[in-house]
Amino acid sequence: MTTEMLAVFLGSSIRLAMPLLLAAIGELVSERAGVLNMSLEGMMLTGAFAGAVAAWATGSPVLGLVAAVAAVVPVALLQAFLTNTLRANQIVSGLGLNILILGATTLGYREIFGARSREAIPGFDKWSPPGLGDIPVFGEAVFTQVWLVYAAPLIVIAVAMMLRTTALGIALRAAGESPRVLDRAGLSAVRLRYGVVIFTGIMAALGGAFLAIGDIHTFTEGMTNGAGYLAIAAVIFGKWDIVRTAIACLLFGAATALQFQLPAMGIEVPSALLIMSPYLLAFLSVAGLVGRQTAPRALAVPYWR
Amino acid sequence: MTTEATSTPARAPSWRPHAVAVPQGLLVPVAAVLGAFACGALLVVATGLPLGQAASAFVDGAFGSAYAISASLNRSVVYALVGLGFIFANRANLTNVGGEGQIAVGGIAATAVALAPGVGQLPFGLAFIVPMLAATLAGAFWGGIAGVLKARVGTNEVISTLLLSFIATWLVYWCVQSRQLLRQPMTSAATLPESPAIPEAAQLPLLTGDYASPVTIGLPIAVGLAILVAVVLGRSRLGFQLKAVGLNPVAAMRAGFSTQQTVVLAFLVAGGFGGLAGAVMLLGDQYSLKAGFSSGYGYDGLVVGLLARGSVSGVMAASLLFGFLRSAGITMEMSAGVPTALVVVIQGLIVVAVAGAAFWLDRKQPARG
Repeated sequence: MTTEMLAVFLGSSIRLAMPLLLAAIGELVSERAGVLNMSLEGMMLTGAFAGAVAAWATGSPVLGLVAAVAAVVPVALLQAFLTNTLRANQIVSGLGLNILILGATTLGYREIFGARSREAIPGFDKWSPPGLGDIPVFGEAVFTQVWLVYAAPLIVIAVAMMLRTTALGIALRAAGESPRVLDRAGLSAVRLRYGVVIFTGIMAALGGAFLAIGDIHTFTEGMTNGAGYLAIAAVIFGKWDIVRTAIACLLFGAATALQFQLPAMGIEVPSALLIMSPYLLAFLSVAGLVGRQTAPRALAVPYWR
Repeated sequence: MTTEATSTPARAPSWRPHAVAVPQGLLVPVAAVLGAFACGALLVVATGLPLGQAASAFVDGAFGSAYAISASLNRSVVYALVGLGFIFANRANLTNVGGEGQIAVGGIAATAVALAPGVGQLPFGLAFIVPMLAATLAGAFWGGIAGVLKARVGTNEVISTLLLSFIATWLVYWCVQSRQLLRQPMTSAATLPESPAIPEAAQLPLLTGDYASPVTIGLPIAVGLAILVAVVLGRSRLGFQLKAVGLNPVAAMRAGFSTQQTVVLAFLVAGGFGGLAGAVMLLGDQYSLKAGFSSGYGYDGLVVGLLARGSVSGVMAASLLFGFLRSAGITMEMSAGVPTALVVVIQGLIVVAVAGAAFWLDRKQPARG
């Protein structure tokens, strides 16, 4: 691999990992608090759709991002209401929401864009931090990215600090391990779980919006194409630890980037195997073949006061 | 079984197979379906399309011709098989989300065996029976992995079956992509990769023998299996064992049932049903393996299983509903210009409504995990 190819590979790995990373941070916080958001896929799709539509209508990608976050809140509230108040099966309600959102965004896309499909949508410009952008070869290929990419590591650090050192972080983890203890301590497990689902929604919407207005600059039907499930897989593979989850996302991004990189290098590997590899890694991880299982104890268990 | 005494609860007269309150259990899904259809109608009006035209296209697509009815029925058979497997495992309180993957490996196995040298020449219908059995075994294996993991390592079956589904979906892609596996030699650069066609002898016989109404023998097979599942779940010791393990594993163990064996068995059966569904799709409808052939069927089957709330008749009703709904949606798009996505919305609404309604339905039942 030449230096140029390595640089391009690194750059595209980071770019492809970004939607996963944003969504996975949200999902990690939520799972640590005991809520499994199967609807992550649908939330990302909501963000992608709302972001694309708003950016197209207003011509401003920033407004697109705002719209993405605004649009996902009702979805997240519905998911939170179903899982926390109605204590619905978290998997069933999540899959149902995914089906609903896939249908609704496809319908909305046809209504709004109709024949003008595939029209380019105004997106964020790429930017390189001073200094880093001037590095030969790597500056252009790796460090010239949409600003959200640079925000992501900051969010990871902030969330890691929040989970580890703050009272809120301890309360969140308690909600995922033993919600009853939390309730006895005078805090509401249900209210916390509402909060984490909304946080997940916002992060997923950022991830989805990144896809639509940060990377591809268009919306296509069902464009998330399993990214939400992949983000959940990253949390599992990362053993519910934020740094490991972030690394898992980068790894999954790299596996996706390899699909395009390997043929360019003249190496014949069936692309199906590369696309499958993140799921396979996550599967081996949950199968206990890669270390021990460390899922939060009350994960996906509705809380009955 | 240790002693005769421990097995007596299975025969105790107080135990009834379907102790769930029937009227309410029926009311909620029906209300959810009607409500979802009403929302669908509102959406059609909102998008400015004539409702009558959309409705007539919808009915046409579902019941308009012998071909339409047959296509819907064939689709329902796939949903019914996956749904039956789902409620079987769910009786032991296990959630099999892996129907999609079990269909996929079933499809691969059915194709590989049907195309194997000599199989196409087998007499007495063995040309299609052998691939069907192979697919069932492949599906059972795929489901069994999740069962063994659950029993041995304690891996959450929802996560493992979901991941196995993704792996299987890409296995199909790999099989049709690689010439060493099942890809047919390229005919032109424009054709999407797929396997060679299933030989005629291996295709499922049509009930009418006429391609104008292509209902396959998958239908009677599904009906027969439904009766079998109803009997096993409702009247047999195995059915009681599943229920006991599902409701209270500790008590079940005290009664002499092996929790681990039950879990593995439940997943073998659920997976087998998924694999058989894959064979029915390949040998009775698709006739060649293509990437993404299982797309959505497994998840629709899962939804059918969920809607049924544990009853076999519920699976049959829900699979008919969704089979006709999906077929009608496709026709509606072609003839009335109403996007199929509308049907997807209706389906999503039904699932969300039923998932939420469990709050009221399950209150009268003992707490479940």
